[in-house]
Amino acid sequence: MSKVYILGGEQTDFERNWSKEGKSVMAMFKEVVEDGFAAANMNFSEIQELNKENKVAVYVGNFDGEQYVNQGHMGAFLTEVHPSFYGVPAARYEAACASGSIAIDSAMAKIESGAYDLAVVVGIEMMKTVDAKTGGDFLGTAAYYEKEAKGVSFPFPTIFGKLADELIKKYDLDVERFMNNLGKISAINYSNAKRNPKAQTRNWFMEEGQSCSRDVDTNNIVSGKLAISDCSQVTDGAVLVFLASEKYTKKYCNKNNIAIEDVPYIKGWGHRVAPFRFESKINDGSDSEYILPWTRQAVLDAYKRANLEVEDIDFFETHDCFTSSEYAAISSFGITAPGKEYEAIESGKISFEGKKPINPSGGLIGAGHPVGASGVRMILDLYKQLSGKAGEAQLDKPRNGLMLNIGGSATTNYVCIVGK
Amino acid sequence: MLNIKTVTIVGANGTMGASVAGIFASFGMAKVYLVSRSIEKSQKAVEKAVSSVRANSIRKRLIPKTYEDLEKCVEESDWVFESIAENIQLKKEINDRIAKVRKEGTIVSTGTSGLSVSKLKESYDEDGQKMYFGTHFFNPPYNLPLCELMATESSDESLKEELKKYLEIQLKRKVVVVKDAPAFLANRIGFQFLNEVAQLAENYKEEGGIDYIDSILGGFSGRGMKPLVTVDFVGLDIHKAIVDNLYDNTNDFCKDSFVMPEFVELLIAEGKLGRKSGQGFFKLEIDELGNKTKLVYDISSKRYRKAKRYQFDFATDMVKALREGEYETAMKVLKEDKSEPAQLCQYLTYKYVLYSLAVALEVAESYHDADIAMGYGFSWMPPLAWLEFVGGSGTFIADIQENKFFEDVKMTVDDMKVILDKAETSRIDGRRFFKAKY
Repeated sequence: MSKVYILGGEQTDFERNWSKEGKSVMAMFKEVVEDGFAAANMNFSEIQELNKENKVAVYVGNFDGEQYVNQGHMGAFLTEVHPSFYGVPAARYEAACASGSIAIDSAMAKIESGAYDLAVVVGIEMMKTVDAKTGGDFLGTAAYYEKEAKGVSFPFPTIFGKLADELIKKYDLDVERFMNNLGKISAINYSNAKRNPKAQTRNWFMEEGQSCSRDVDTNNIVSGKLAISDCSQVTDGAVLVFLASEKYTKKYCNKNNIAIEDVPYIKGWGHRVAPFRFESKINDGSDSEYILPWTRQAVLDAYKRANLEVEDIDFFETHDCFTSSEYAAISSFGITAPGKEYEAIESGKISFEGKKPINPSGGLIGAGHPVGASGVRMILDLYKQLSGKAGEAQLDKPRNGLMLNIGGSATTNYVCIVGK
Repeated sequence: MLNIKTVTIVGANGTMGASVAGIFASFGMAKVYLVSRSIEKSQKAVEKAVSSVRANSIRKRLIPKTYEDLEKCVEESDWVFESIAENIQLKKEINDRIAKVRKEGTIVSTGTSGLSVSKLKESYDEDGQKMYFGTHFFNPPYNLPLCELMATESSDESLKEELKKYLEIQLKRKVVVVKDAPAFLANRIGFQFLNEVAQLAENYKEEGGIDYIDSILGGFSGRGMKPLVTVDFVGLDIHKAIVDNLYDNTNDFCKDSFVMPEFVELLIAEGKLGRKSGQGFFKLEIDELGNKTKLVYDISSKRYRKAKRYQFDFATDMVKALREGEYETAMKVLKEDKSEPAQLCQYLTYKYVLYSLAVALEVAESYHDADIAMGYGFSWMPPLAWLEFVGGSGTFIADIQENKFFEDVKMTVDDMKVILDKAETSRIDGRRFFKAKY
């Protein structure tokens, strides 16, 4: 079985509003391909060569192109970008906000098996084509629409607002302290995003005092106890990464004068699907000490496959679609015991300077959340950190990073450990 | 890093004063005294500052004051930012008051957009002059992060560097250090373009004038807002003040483009100053049913008429190409379409590039400063990025010669080559500045 290496790639600037620019999803595909190929020093003739032997494929993660831009079948779209993609196997992968990592998962499987040598993985979502309320309804299809989203304004803030309530209940938390912890999570993500030149909120102002004061006119309540500062962003964005077999990576390293030991590879993964409805997750998982037991299981699976433990992981990229989901992720990773997540927040352990930084990129709250692209963005950020290309956000020589990408109300849970 | 704990904003009730107070209190985490003529005005300024950065949390750092408290505020401050009306006499009076109580080591800066910083510094003693600068922010500063930093010959050189760093890192500004020259960098480049467009509106008044010319220079030509809509937004009186200043105090190859068009003078005389006075180049008519109609000033008939949606083949084709991310195709259209509107668009674009670089050479530290100024102060395609899109310096010169652009301009092709040969690759991704729309 071949190891799966990551050869780099690029993301679009998540600050851009492509609707305001009047640009189509086609334009976004073109730019991310152009930038991704340039960043990894790849060219189209390479694709043509590999394709002669049927050794390259394209994996596109996209959640809701049909609704946001009236376009399905995005797997086949790279043929519109350049003719060298003619004949290259390609498909679109969908698992709500985990679409990106599911595309990675499929690419990984074919490379491991030896079927392909190179995979071009693209995550893409254009979300600013509609107003917030309409977009909220679209996203509602990631839940059980008929039962959880239909007629509900902002279904996901509602669900993750409930997660906050359930956390308080399950662990008997002091409400004020808990909400301040969520405020701190938000402030850390915004602050980390300042170091990321492609983050959506890099020029916004946020401080803990602001993210901890809710129900004021600059930070309205969205649902339950959660306010705007607890939410991730609505984002237009695309990301491209190259995954490669060991054989191909050796060739690539020779050509680019890199030592293969310096190229990050996927060490382990976990993929678990929880009961679809949020209520089932809580009720049927109530025996577990973890609030999201299926998320925890996906993490354990990844640790096992990688033969690593939380002690070995230097940083995390998590799915902070809301502050409450990052809160629950802390114990899922094993950074603290379940119910003791506040310790890692209050001690500064998960902040940029801490021992277990979460989201040095800024995460979904700071860097942005183009839903179908987020999983690919996470793996690209793991790659950048591990290969010393994270610029101002660079941590001190990390060896291993872990990403958690979730779809729906932590229904699809995908974890990937990348290291050297 | 400079340690700026307390800041006084003088003239805090103005748009700039209030929003710069917001920047200091948010990114700068500083305690800010907002000084204006009445406490009510200063309280309003606090609210403006809060909403400008969308954060209630900064309110606790914003303290409304009046001129009665000016001396006390200044005594306590690490930085005093003067943002009062653009009147040299008024500014002198305030500077004299600040100078009397300013403690050694306090920075004073002016937000002037047109007056000479070297002249304004004269109120201060030696230490005061060392610490006196121009800091010209753009409106609204939360969205337009450009800050032009002007030192004088008395300014402390190492302090200038520290100030630049503070503005960049702490206040999240994009900083260009420029000479104390008329209108500095961004406005000189921007208003050259804007006023030439206004002149062309007059020349093409029979074709439609204002909305006709604006349609030739829409989003597809690398800007967020059409040029004459921009002037209407800025205010015709402000436009005139900047343009007249440039006409009187510069003497370069674009001097003729700083002559104010007659129709603009006429509108100003009638008090039609633009959006702020309800009418200017444009006017929004609302009937009893609440239906809105956008009207435009017709230069020929001197009356408002319904704005037209002009369509041009080149523009339509550029929009189509840009929509698909076909930047090269869009450039090809711009160059190959020889219709008058297309040629006007190309001519103005090329002049903008050439003038930007020429001005940067004169007043800034590098061509990249012109990129920063126009990208982050006007949201226009940065000139070096434009140069790349049209094919680089060599192609640029060839295009000028082929189209006989700038033959009336007092500059030889060799002079142009000298300017263009030094052009480097832009550090700003220009793609986002092209809007696939009219």
